[in-house]
Amino acid sequence: MNAPVDSKSLRAAEQFQLSAHQDDIAKGDVLLKVENVSLSFGGVKAISDISFDVRKGEIRAIIGPNGAGKTSMLNVINGFYHPQIGTITYRGQPRHAMRSTEAARQGISRTFQNIALFKGMSTLDNIMTGRITLQKRNVFWQALWHGPAMREDIEHRRAVEHIIDFLEIQAIRHTPVGRLPYGLQKRVELGRALAAEPALLLLDEPMAGMNLEEKEDMSRFILDVNDQFGTTIALIEHDMGVVMDISDRVVVLDYGRKIGDGTPDEVSKNQDVIDAYLGVPHDE
Amino acid sequence: MAQTDASLDTFPKYLLANAKRFGGRAAMRNKDLGIWQKWTWAELLEEIRDYSLGLEALGVKKDDKIAIVGQNRPRLYWTFCAAQAIGAVPVPVYADSVAEEMSYVLDHAGVVLAICQDQEQVDKVQSMADKLPSLKKIVYDEPRGLRDYDHENLHSIDEIQQRGKDIHAAEGDARWLKTIGQGKGDDLSVILYTSGTTGRPKGVMLTFDNLVSAAKSGCEFDHLDEHEETIAYLPLAWVGDHTFSYAQSYVAGFCVSCPESPETISEDRREIAPTYFFAPPRVFETLLTQIMVRMEDAGRTKKAMFGHFLAHARKVGERILNGEPVGAWDRLKYRIGDILVYGPLKNRLGMTKLRVGYTAGEAIGPEIFRFYRSLGLNLKQLYGQTEASVYVTAQPDGEIRADTVGRPSPGVEIKIADSGEVLYRSPGVFLGYYKDEEATRSTKTPDGWVHTGDAGFLDKEGHLKIIDRAKDVGKLNSGALFAPKYIENALKFFPNIKECVAFGDGRDYVAAFLNIDLTSVGNWAERNNISYASYQELANHPQVYEMMASHVDEVNRQLASEEMMAGAQVHRFLVLHKELDPDDGELTRTQKVRRSFIAERYAELIEALYDGSTEKFVSTEVTFEDGRKGKISATVKIADAKVHEVTAAGFKEAAE
Amino acid sequence: MSPVVLNLIETILNGLMAGVMYSLVALGFVLIFKASGIFNFAQGVMALFAALTLVGLQTGQVPFAHLINAVLGTNLHSFGWTLPAFAAVIGTLLVMVLFAYLFEALVLKHLVNQEPIILFMATIGLAYFLEGFGDLMWGSDVKTMDVGIPSGGSFWWEDVTLGWVAEGSDYYGMYIDRLDVVAAVVAVVLVIVLTIFSQYTRMGRALRAVADDHQAALSVGISLRTIWVVVWSIAGFVALVAGIMWGSKSGVQFSLSLIALKALPVLILGGFTSIPGAIVGGLIIGVGEKLAEIYVGPMVGGAVENWFAYVVALAFLLFRPQGLFGERIIERV
Repeated sequence: MNAPVDSKSLRAAEQFQLSAHQDDIAKGDVLLKVENVSLSFGGVKAISDISFDVRKGEIRAIIGPNGAGKTSMLNVINGFYHPQIGTITYRGQPRHAMRSTEAARQGISRTFQNIALFKGMSTLDNIMTGRITLQKRNVFWQALWHGPAMREDIEHRRAVEHIIDFLEIQAIRHTPVGRLPYGLQKRVELGRALAAEPALLLLDEPMAGMNLEEKEDMSRFILDVNDQFGTTIALIEHDMGVVMDISDRVVVLDYGRKIGDGTPDEVSKNQDVIDAYLGVPHDE
Repeated sequence: MAQTDASLDTFPKYLLANAKRFGGRAAMRNKDLGIWQKWTWAELLEEIRDYSLGLEALGVKKDDKIAIVGQNRPRLYWTFCAAQAIGAVPVPVYADSVAEEMSYVLDHAGVVLAICQDQEQVDKVQSMADKLPSLKKIVYDEPRGLRDYDHENLHSIDEIQQRGKDIHAAEGDARWLKTIGQGKGDDLSVILYTSGTTGRPKGVMLTFDNLVSAAKSGCEFDHLDEHEETIAYLPLAWVGDHTFSYAQSYVAGFCVSCPESPETISEDRREIAPTYFFAPPRVFETLLTQIMVRMEDAGRTKKAMFGHFLAHARKVGERILNGEPVGAWDRLKYRIGDILVYGPLKNRLGMTKLRVGYTAGEAIGPEIFRFYRSLGLNLKQLYGQTEASVYVTAQPDGEIRADTVGRPSPGVEIKIADSGEVLYRSPGVFLGYYKDEEATRSTKTPDGWVHTGDAGFLDKEGHLKIIDRAKDVGKLNSGALFAPKYIENALKFFPNIKECVAFGDGRDYVAAFLNIDLTSVGNWAERNNISYASYQELANHPQVYEMMASHVDEVNRQLASEEMMAGAQVHRFLVLHKELDPDDGELTRTQKVRRSFIAERYAELIEALYDGSTEKFVSTEVTFEDGRKGKISATVKIADAKVHEVTAAGFKEAAE
Repeated sequence: MSPVVLNLIETILNGLMAGVMYSLVALGFVLIFKASGIFNFAQGVMALFAALTLVGLQTGQVPFAHLINAVLGTNLHSFGWTLPAFAAVIGTLLVMVLFAYLFEALVLKHLVNQEPIILFMATIGLAYFLEGFGDLMWGSDVKTMDVGIPSGGSFWWEDVTLGWVAEGSDYYGMYIDRLDVVAAVVAVVLVIVLTIFSQYTRMGRALRAVADDHQAALSVGISLRTIWVVVWSIAGFVALVAGIMWGSKSGVQFSLSLIALKALPVLILGGFTSIPGAIVGGLIIGVGEKLAEIYVGPMVGGAVENWFAYVVALAFLLFRPQGLFGERIIERV
C-alpha cells in the first residue's frame, strides 16, 4: 500500500486543472478566427466564404442541417482538411492551413461524430494516448522505463485518473472500449480529448445517437469542463434544442454558407435560420 | 482476538484503544484515482480528532442530531465517531431515498447539521431546507461543482478538519479526551430509520451498549479479529452496514475498505478479497445470474467443464465444507474442480479469502445458498432486525441449513407467540423509537420482549424457521394456508424471474404477478433470435409467457409435494409490463415488495386475475430517474397455470 | 528411457528449434501487418539484406565494389579491416533504420490512404529492388557469417542424454545444435522486449493507436510518418535478428529470401495479427515438419518437409481462417 496519505491530497479534483496549453489570451478575447474560408472537393463546394471567431472561455456552437458543412469546418480547424482560400488565426498566429499533428500540439483536441476510439485498447490506454503530445520525446528512457521517464509516466497516469474520476468512468477503466455501449464510448472519447489538456476542444456532434438521459449527462460534462477547467469549446450539433441551452454563441451554417451568428436567442429569432431548419427551398 | 476490558463501552473509546493496540494496522482503505489509499488506526484517530474538534467549533453540541447523507465514503464513516466523541448523535439516511422521504426523516430527527457526500446530496438537502427549521448548516465531502455555491452555511469536511487541526495545535486534545471519557454505554449512540414496508419510517434508537454487546458477541461467534478484511458497500443507514462496517470494525479492529464508486464494487471486491462479507440475498442472486449469463456465452469445452464440476460440487461440496465423510476419489475430484472451476470462480466473485459470509434481510433461495456453499464458501444465514442491533439468530459453523436461520445468537432469548409470531429479548434490544412512544409500546413489551412481526417456529434442533411476515400469512377461502413469501421465493428461484407478488388471502385460489429479469431473459431472447424493442414488449412476448408458465408449473409441482402448501398452488399469473421500482414506491429502498401498495396500484389487474379475463388494459404512472412523471400503458395478458394433484399423502385438493 | 523415446524427444526438440527460426521471420510480418495493415512481402529479403550488410561491414567489404570497379576500372575489394561483431550489428541496425526512413519518405508517404493491395504491390517491388540492390552492393557470392554465436552439437547434452540409456545399447546421445538454442533464447527475449515496448511505452501505445484508427491517432497528435519509420525500423531490426540466425546457420546466400515463403503458413496458422501466434505457429510447423518427415516420410517417399507446412496452412484456411490467435474475421452482411 501507499505511504500515509494526507487527506487533503485525496480529493483534489478541484485543484486539478487542464492547464498544459496556457497562453496569454485573456478570457473573452479571440482565440480562434476563421476568415473567408472556402473549401471544395473537386468542384463540389463544401464551405464557401465563412468567417467567424471563437472567444476564449466560451462554448461556441456550430449548427446547421445535415450537409451544411459543419464537420468540414471542424476538419479545417483541426487540420484534416486544407482550405483552398482563407486564413485561420489561432492564438494570434495567422496561417493558411493547419496541420493536424501541429493542431494537436498547439492544444486543439477533438472528438468525432462516429466515434474514433482505439477499439482494441482499454479506456485507460485510450485516454493515455490523449497525452501523447504532452509526453516528453524520450523514447530511449521510455523503453527502459526508468528514472525520470517513470516519474513522468506516473504523472500522466495521475492526470488520466483525474479525468476518469471527472467523467465517472472508473468502472470501465480496464474494459476494451470496443465492448462499451455507445454512450460510454462517447464519454471515453471526450476523456481522450480532455487528456491533452486542450486550449480549444472541438466536439463533433457529442450527443448524436444518445437517449435523453445520456444527452443530459453529456451536457452536464460539457458545462463542467467549461466551468471547472475554463476550456474553450467549439461544438457541432444537429439537434438545436440541447445546443441552445449550453452554448454562449452560435454560428449557423446552411449549404456551406453562414446564415446566422449570435447568442442562442438572437439566432433562434433569425428568419434565415428558421427557414433553414424548416426546410424552406433555396431560391438560387 | 485481543481481549478488551469492560471499560470500552463507546466507539470513541474503542478508537483511542485501537490507535494504541493496533496503531500500525490498516483501519480503513479507499480507492481513489485508481489507487488504494490507506489509513492506520493511528492515522484514523488523528483524522477523526480533527474532524470532531472542527464539528465542535462549528457549534455542534451534546445530543445534537447530525444527518449523514451519502454512500460508503471514508469520511462519512468518520462522521459517526467524530460526532459521538462530542456527544452528538449521528443519523444516517438512505442516500437514494426520494426527497419527501428524506425530508420527513431529517425533520423528524431534528437534525442541526447534514453531512452530504456530494453536490447531488447538497442540492437535495438544500431544496428541503425551508421545511427543516432545526437544520443550521450543510457540510459536504466532495467539492466538485460546489465552488460557486454560497458558502455561508455550507462547509467542506476539509475546512472543518483544518479548523480542528488548528484548534488541536493551539490547545491540545485533553478536553476532547475528557469528553470521550464522559461518554457512557447507555448513551444514545445512533438513530437508524427503518425503511418500513408500511407507513412512515421509524427512528430506532440504539445505545452504545446495544451495539457494542451485539458487535462483540457477533465477533466471538465467528472468531473475528483485527485480521479481517471487509468491503463497505451497503447503505450506511442500514443496521447491517452500521454493525459490520462500523461497530464490529471498531470492536474487533479490522479494516474496512470503501469502493471507488458504486459501479466498481465487484472489481474492488476482487482486489480486496474480503475475509468477512455480508450481503442481502439479492446480491448473491445477482452475482449468480451474472456468472450464469457469462457461462452461456462461453465456449463449449468451458461450459461442459463448468457444468460437470458444478454438478460434482453440488454432490459433495457442502459435505466437505461441513466436515462430513466423503470418499477419497470425490475429494480428489473436488480438488481438481477447485483448481479448474471453483477457484477461478471464487476469484471472480472476490471471495478467494472469504472465511465467513452472511446473508440476511430476506430469505435466500435454497438453491442459491447451496450453490455458494458447495463452492466451499462458508456462507451462513442470519436473522436480524434493526431493533435487535442485527442479531436475533445465526447459523453456527457445521449447523448450516438452507431452510432455517439458525440458533438464537449469544445472549438472545426467543419465544413464539400463540399467533405464530416470533419474539426475542437480548442486550442488543433498542431503547425505543425516537419520538414515537406508541410505536415503541406496541413493539416492545415492558419486560423487554420485542415483536418481530414474522411468523415462524423453532424446529426440533432449536433452529428458527421463518415462514413469512406474521400479518401476511393468510388463508384461502378453502381454509388452506397462504404464505405469499414462500410461494414468491420459490418462483424467484428461477433466474428469469426477478420479482413476483402472490395474492390469495380471502380468495378462492392463488394468483401471481411476475417480473422478468431483463439480463437473464434478454440474454435468452438474444440466443433465440427473439427481437424486442422494450422491456414491455419482451415481457409480453408469447414465448416469454410460455417460459414463465413452465416455471410456475414447476413451482406448483413443488408445492403439491408439501402437505401444508399444496392448496396454495398458483392458478393464474401475469407478467407485469413494467419493473417494480423503488422510485414508484412499489419496492422499499432495500428492494422489498410493498404488497399493499401494489395491491392498490394494480387493483384492476388483480381483479382480472380472478374474474377469468384473458387480458387487461392498464395505464400506470411512473417516475423517471430525473424525477419527471409519465405514463406507461399496456395490455397485459393473463395466463392459466396447470395445477397438480397433491403428491404428498394427506388431504386432497381437487384439481381444476 | 528407451532410445525410441529419446529419438522422439530429439525430433521434437529439433523441430521446436527449427520452428523458432520460422517464428523469427513471421514476427516481422506480424509487426508491420498489425501496425499498418500492410502485408510486407519483402520481410524475407530484408532479413537477407540485413545479413549481407552485417557480413559486409564485419569483413570490411567495399560496398558496390563490383560496380565501382566496372565503372572506374579499379580493383577494390576490401577496406582491409574487420569490425568486431558488436560494432557491425550496430552499423547494420543504423542501415536498417536509414532504410526504413528512406522507404517511408520515397514510397509510403505517397501511398497514404491507398488500398492494401496497392501497398502490398509496393512491398513486392521493394522485395525485388532490395534483392537486386543487395546483390549490387555486396555481391552475389555465398558468404559465411560468424558473429561469435556458438554452433555445432552440444557434447555436454550428448553425454547427459547418453546417461539416460541403459548401458550397451547403440544410442549415441541426443544431438542439439547450440546455435538453435541461442536462436530460441533470442526469440524469447525478442518477444518479451516487443511486448513490453508495445504495452508499456508511449511509442508502443502510439503504435497500437495507429493500428487501430488512423484518423483518431492523427487527432491526438500522433504523426503517422514517424510511426511508419518506427514500425519499419523495428521490422528491420527483427529482420536483422532473423538474418543473423539464419546466416549463422546456413550461410548468407540469396536463397535466404525464400524462407519468407515458409513464414506464410506460419502466419496462417498463428494469425496475422498475433505476436504469440507467430511464435506458436512457427513451433507447430517446425515440430510438425520434423515429425512428419521421420514418421510419415518413409511411407510416402520423403520430402514431406517441403509441403507439410502448406497442407497444414490449407487446412487452417478451411476451418479457422483467422488462425489460432488472430482476431475473428466477421463479415457483416
